[in-house]
Amino acid sequence: MSKTSFHILRVGLAITFLWIGILIFKQPEAWGGYLQPWAAGLLPVPIGEAMIGTAILDIAIGVLLLFDSFVWLAALIGAVHLVIVLIVSGITDITVRDMGILAATIALMADSLPKNLIDKIKSPKEENY
Amino acid sequence: MTSLALLFTLSAIGISETVYLIRKRIVSEKPVCPIGSGCEIVLASKYNKIFIIPNDILGLLAYIIISIIAAFLVIEVAPIYFWGLLIKILISIASIMSFIFTYLQWRVIRAWCFWCLMSAFTIWLMGIIILASAVI
Repeated sequence: MSKTSFHILRVGLAITFLWIGILIFKQPEAWGGYLQPWAAGLLPVPIGEAMIGTAILDIAIGVLLLFDSFVWLAALIGAVHLVIVLIVSGITDITVRDMGILAATIALMADSLPKNLIDKIKSPKEENY
Repeated sequence: MTSLALLFTLSAIGISETVYLIRKRIVSEKPVCPIGSGCEIVLASKYNKIFIIPNDILGLLAYIIISIIAAFLVIEVAPIYFWGLLIKILISIASIMSFIFTYLQWRVIRAWCFWCLMSAFTIWLMGIIILASAVI
């Protein structure tokens, strides 16, 4: 990925995560309505509190992406978060949008992985010798 | 809500831009100048700071404060009137500062910096959004 396209993707995703976090903060219970009943039943805390936690996570991911710090980690957490969102919210009219954001976070993560981590993934056994 | 979303988006773009300039300045690297070649001249000029604070840090602080206030207004954190007034005052001051810095590039330094102009246009666009939202 070219440097310019990487930064456009990074800032675009940062704005998306930050804005979603703010909107969830505004109406946590309403956003909790997107959860499937089986998923809501698994929550150990009230749905409003769980959604506030989600908002904080979204904002933290957005801040890291915006400040260009630990981009790979933020993108990885963002991707895992989106997979969980897709599982717990089921297939709806906006699922396709979440899939697009998921693909973007994976692309960002793949492009920003630290070199030593890539080396470890490629040849884990060599590290032991 | 739409105007706040736009203000937040523009301030986030401003944050990413100023963070880039600050990082380049800290490691003493030349920033990429996508259009023109006057970035170095402008960024290294004697007008690159106000008193002892570099302009990029002032810009970053302004953008962060604007984004936080926009978020407060969306979430409806009280006192809403105060936040609404504060964001208008901040954007007005930032717009005037951007006019001064653009004039300095045009007439005094006689070189154009892509990032400085982008920041100025970002701030002016925020001002237009504030004005438009007051009219509509």
